[in-house]
Amino acid sequence: MIAMQVARIIANFVVFFELADDDIVDPDTAVKMMEDLGSGLDTLDKGFLRELVDAFAVIAEENSGEVQEVIRNIPYSFYLEEELAADDPVRLAELDAIREAKD
Amino acid sequence: MDEIQGQMGRRAFVGWLRTGRSPAGRIDRVELKFNPWHDPDDGRFTFAGTGRRFGTGGADPADQISGRASGIFGRPSIGDRNRPRIPATPKVQAPRAQQRVGNDAGVIDRRPAIVPLKVVPGLRLVNQSNPVTEFVGGAGRELRDLANETVTGVRSALTTNPVTTVRNAALGIAGMIDAGIAADDVPARVQISRAADALANASARDIGRAGAYVVGNAALTLAPGAALSKVSALRGLRKARLRPTYDPPEIGWAKETLDRDKPWAAYNDAAPGAQAGQAPTLKRKLPNGLERAVKFDGVQGDYVIDRKWKIVDAPHARAQLLRQSEVLRRHNVIGTWEVPDQKQRMKALMLFKKMNVTNIKVRVVKP
Repeated sequence: MIAMQVARIIANFVVFFELADDDIVDPDTAVKMMEDLGSGLDTLDKGFLRELVDAFAVIAEENSGEVQEVIRNIPYSFYLEEELAADDPVRLAELDAIREAKD
Repeated sequence: MDEIQGQMGRRAFVGWLRTGRSPAGRIDRVELKFNPWHDPDDGRFTFAGTGRRFGTGGADPADQISGRASGIFGRPSIGDRNRPRIPATPKVQAPRAQQRVGNDAGVIDRRPAIVPLKVVPGLRLVNQSNPVTEFVGGAGRELRDLANETVTGVRSALTTNPVTTVRNAALGIAGMIDAGIAADDVPARVQISRAADALANASARDIGRAGAYVVGNAALTLAPGAALSKVSALRGLRKARLRPTYDPPEIGWAKETLDRDKPWAAYNDAAPGAQAGQAPTLKRKLPNGLERAVKFDGVQGDYVIDRKWKIVDAPHARAQLLRQSEVLRRHNVIGTWEVPDQKQRMKALMLFKKMNVTNIKVRVVKP
């Protein structure tokens, strides 16, 4: 339950900085904030991070269009699955292949 | 006079390069070019002064004795086919394969017997100067000297500089290679012309040396297995060109109002040339003609540095990468991303590849 709430806060934060116009938020500053958020997510407990990743998929379904796409891609953008699989080289290789195929 | 002789020298050398024939009128027409020095064990050519010298007439003395002119197995050599042969007279007794006696009878001993050379009256002495021999000898010596100098130079650049660093060594070697390749850039005819002019009264050996210098420069850059070729490969055997110099980029500074207590903020502030609360910027021209600053974190010489605490592969981050790449290209500078660990570096490299960005490098700088 807490994971869902935190995921919603993070999703709002990401949507704002990703979709805000350059005249409203300096794009370089926006990137800095996203990097800060990403480093913060990396330090979370792995179990909680797993719950967050799963929650982003649920929250994305509550939205549509560009916002939905941004929220759904949060784990991808911040390499969260890779962070969860840090001790599993097989899973990391698989994620690399998925990322490469997607690119 | 000098000019005439220079032209003769050029013509002679060009003719030799094209046909293999020596300058007309300077030697007899029995042989075109040859190396009289052979290894007596296997019959292969050797450098002058090593192995054994089998006469100056060019043909194998053994063949001459048997009435054959130059050529293999009694056939005339390619260069001789269209010309009448001049009967060769015996010149020197050469060692022949011997039939063994005793238990090994019937087995041909291909090792030459140590037989002192016999000089036949009326013939040239084996040590007598021959223009063709001198020419080939000069060419060989020049090639050898050039190779020696290059190897010595490479070794010197790597070992004798008291403040030798990888960069210095690379620069030293690159300089030598550039010189070699630059020499190769000069058309051979020009180099030969210069050499012939300078050596108006030069012997065939001197002309050979001049020609070999050109050939040697080209050959050394391609010599497989040599240290030189490895270094050349690193440079992709590029032609020696001066890198154009540009004015240093016009760096502006923009105020940054981010939380300075965060670990990533401290990391960014530690970038070379960074100023706390200020971000170095480069101006980027927008399609509508306006200019907008692109922020970085530090400046080091002509390099602008952006420190990334965490790589993010999101639309804004990708757009920032493209902005930086574009502004760097516009200002003719190279950017560097500094990341805290190897994991982030790999992510950055993947992102560069994905976005086709080639003018930004990435390196690990520990916090």
